[in-house]
Amino acid sequence: MRRRDFLAISTAAALSAGCARRPRAARAQVSIVRAPAYDQHIYESVRRIFAEHRVDVRGRRVVLKPNLVEFEPGSSINTNPLLVHAVFEAARALGAAEVRIAEGPGHRRNTLDLADAAGYFQTISQFENAFVDLNLDEVTRVHPARQLSRLGKLYLPNTALGADLLISIPKLKTHHWAGATLAMKNLFGVVPSGVYGWPKNVLHWAGIGECIADLHALFPRQFAIVDGVVGMEGNGPIQGTAKPAGLLVAGSDPVAVDATCCRIMRIDPLQIGYLKLAAGDNSRLSEENILQKALRVDEVATPFALPPGLDNLRMGAAA
Amino acid sequence: MLLDTLIGRQNPDGGWPYIHGSSWTEPTVYAVLALAGSSQPEAAERGVRWLRAVQRRDGGWPPLPGVDESTWVTALAALLPEEALGAEAHARAVRWLLASAGEETSLSNRLRQRLLGNTMLDEQRNPGWPWIPGTASWVGPTSVAMLALAREQRLRPSRQVAARLDAGRRFLLDRMCGNGGWNHGAVRVFGYDSPPYPETTGMALAALRGVRSSKVDRSLDVARGFLPACRSADALNWLRLGLMAHGRLPGGYSPPSEVRYRTCPELSLAAIVAALENGRNPVWS
Repeated sequence: MRRRDFLAISTAAALSAGCARRPRAARAQVSIVRAPAYDQHIYESVRRIFAEHRVDVRGRRVVLKPNLVEFEPGSSINTNPLLVHAVFEAARALGAAEVRIAEGPGHRRNTLDLADAAGYFQTISQFENAFVDLNLDEVTRVHPARQLSRLGKLYLPNTALGADLLISIPKLKTHHWAGATLAMKNLFGVVPSGVYGWPKNVLHWAGIGECIADLHALFPRQFAIVDGVVGMEGNGPIQGTAKPAGLLVAGSDPVAVDATCCRIMRIDPLQIGYLKLAAGDNSRLSEENILQKALRVDEVATPFALPPGLDNLRMGAAA
Repeated sequence: MLLDTLIGRQNPDGGWPYIHGSSWTEPTVYAVLALAGSSQPEAAERGVRWLRAVQRRDGGWPPLPGVDESTWVTALAALLPEEALGAEAHARAVRWLLASAGEETSLSNRLRQRLLGNTMLDEQRNPGWPWIPGTASWVGPTSVAMLALAREQRLRPSRQVAARLDAGRRFLLDRMCGNGGWNHGAVRVFGYDSPPYPETTGMALAALRGVRSSKVDRSLDVARGFLPACRSADALNWLRLGLMAHGRLPGGYSPPSEVRYRTCPELSLAAIVAALENGRNPVWS
């Protein structure tokens, strides 16, 4: 275990240094693409996003991380399986050596039953062969590269740690504790419940926002595609109301993607604790430092009802 | 059939994986419980040897070797008969369990909350068990710990065990969902009722065996209500165990044929339910 720890830490450090493809001053690119429905057009939209961002997956191990939370047929809690399939097909078509779909839900133990109820088996042929339950995967001990939470160490699943590219495919949702749950918060799903339990309460005691930022730092090779076709507003991430926004939001910098999603929901990203922690420098969250491709935020922004007691998150409320 | 499949998945080191790969404590304990007393005891004995080797110096068990902390799976290991695990190993496991409690009831947390001016909720007064030390109590680990301690209390009655069992029962009844049944342990979130889950409803009912109250009756109705539509092997195993604990499993019930037993714990728990139906009792003996 010690040698593996060392390798994991060294790898994370090297990747943090070497794979930060953008110089700090460069503007992060974020695409906002119209996707009015879960239909066949979404496959073309995803292919265009990959092309626009020059996502290179040739010969690489790619892990897709959707957001699966609860059994609720017909609800907007979980990432829609058609979008996950579109990303799966696009990655395979671009020559990925391996594409796995992986998730570790925080409340329910029976992950495959959850995926079945959410329509994944119906939509994705041989889903079970491509899927890894991150809650029950083999684990390696790692230490957060930049420790903001009280987590001195963390056991993480080897499938996620070994990915050459982790594609986070969250839902566009409000969150009653974190304010918004998007690409970065989606990484809670890689923390294995087989070690930490259902729910992963250790992340709450160690500081939710700080843990989100720590996890983000541990996975430097990410791409994010946010499912905003139908999001969730109000008391998210489970008990909110479906909110059609008709969008996909994508980019290789999850901080910039999440900040853009917040603006679309009319949430001030500077009021979201984990975004500020991960950005380090607030200028990284400012709109002028994010290069919007395709559509602009002001063309698509639609106010999401905020969770109870979080009115201070609304853009302009701080002023 | 279930047992043959289970034996086929045993690792060379004697433990069991969840699906495949390394041996973990949870699937190994369930497999040993399922196989103990069967016609194939050798596999169970190898499993017990693996468990003995993995026990930590503090008396607890990690979820898998290499994790340097004892967690809730210690309660599972304590469910094993002491003649199988060994008297000393079993006693240390019980001591670890008695020393474990949700962090919300710890002295340091109560002091901290008082200094912050927060009042303690009634539901935070009864210590249950956490998944991992330093975190709050939840329905799953509390239910398993109570199953283990209830067996201990039958064998060696003590005030300390009785007190934890009593607090655990109150914890579970406090965490019951408004209309009966249990989820992972969050009854209301910002004023919104959270619905129960079948698997945790079954777990809590199994732990509340022998408890008579209107809350338990309501939850038994909820559990029976889950049965017709449920297709999850894990959920159906626990629902059946929970209903059997109160003699309320509908006569002649058997899971639908399309239910798939994918993980070793699902296979093992199905075998344990079958053993109970056939008069063998690996859980409440």
